[in-house]
Amino acid sequence: MHIPDGFVSPIITVPAYGVAAPLWLWAARRYFGRAAAEALPVIGSLTALAFVLQTIMIPVPGGTSTHLVGVTLLAFLFHPLVAFVCESLVLLVQALFFGAGGITVLGVNALAMGLVGPAAGWLVYKALRGVSERAALFGAGWVAMQTSTLAVALVLGLQHHLSAAYFPVPFGATLTAMMLPSLTVAGVVEGLYTVFALALLRRAKVHGV
Amino acid sequence: MASRLDSSRGRALLLGGGVAIFAVSALQDLRTLAVAALLAGVVFHRGAVRRLGRMARSVVPATAALSLMSIAWLRVTDGHWPALEPFAALLVRVVTISFVTLAVLERVDLLRALSPYATLSRLLVVTLAQVHALRLLLTESRDGLRSRLPRRPGALDVLRNAGGITVALFALSTRNAREIGEAMRSRGF
Repeated sequence: MHIPDGFVSPIITVPAYGVAAPLWLWAARRYFGRAAAEALPVIGSLTALAFVLQTIMIPVPGGTSTHLVGVTLLAFLFHPLVAFVCESLVLLVQALFFGAGGITVLGVNALAMGLVGPAAGWLVYKALRGVSERAALFGAGWVAMQTSTLAVALVLGLQHHLSAAYFPVPFGATLTAMMLPSLTVAGVVEGLYTVFALALLRRAKVHGV
Repeated sequence: MASRLDSSRGRALLLGGGVAIFAVSALQDLRTLAVAALLAGVVFHRGAVRRLGRMARSVVPATAALSLMSIAWLRVTDGHWPALEPFAALLVRVVTISFVTLAVLERVDLLRALSPYATLSRLLVVTLAQVHALRLLLTESRDGLRSRLPRRPGALDVLRNAGGITVALFALSTRNAREIGEAMRSRGF
């Protein structure tokens, strides 16, 4: 799902950094300072788990693959901005050590997968948890995945619209290639993971959950 | 492996590499990109073959698959084959940026270069340690599953055991993060 380096020009990547950087700074000071020492192990663990989940690719018809995001849980347990910082960290490590995503597109990927998706999931969870917590968790995971995927597809579509010579893949092709696996496979698995992971964390009585 | 630079030179190279990849990401003309790729190859010629091999397994297949899918899509929707130059430019741009990024990272000790930034260093250390611990545990879990089954574990076997593995993963990584946090605090981070 990550946008690789070179797919999006600085016309988009620089403003994305401009939006993401103040949010990183503010969230890091607010949620990752000394006052958050107790929560950091849980945050670190969920971040690492999200990293592992994102390296597990689910093959889908057509020769492509998709993966889970796994940070929506952090949005419920702490705050959407904690999910944003953690996903940014996962993306940074993947870009630096594993050749996935990239440095120039870090802001774009972080906003799409770390902020827009988890924030949408968090809103769904808040809206539905009074009805049924399991349904709220599943819905939140599913919506977070669709929103993140749609955001990434929209960015690529915008790049094609700005310069078809730079990114020649039309929006229709991008949207189909990305949304089809997300709607059919990844969204459902992300929803199930969210329900399953929170149940396990509560059963294991992990401090901070 | 290229020798690692000291922290100030490492930071300078990181900054230079960052500026270079942003500059390359702004290029869309195939000839200019080819010149940039050649220049990158000359500047970072040490370890180039290994680096290209790594890229051939990661960014190149993804970009090529998306390009081929798009070419087929455009053939069906527009009724004619699209121009291939933008797709070639996209591939060269992606490869050049990855090449420069990997070359810079091979030459910089990232933790040493980022040492003046305490929060960033702390987050990076915790994440890397966690990733390492989780990968170890995943390997051990997979080996354990293999040793208990008379056949190669399938997707269903992995799913049946996922609960236990996830709890173990989480418990281990929480303990690990707490220990790293305490160790870093005791060293003045």
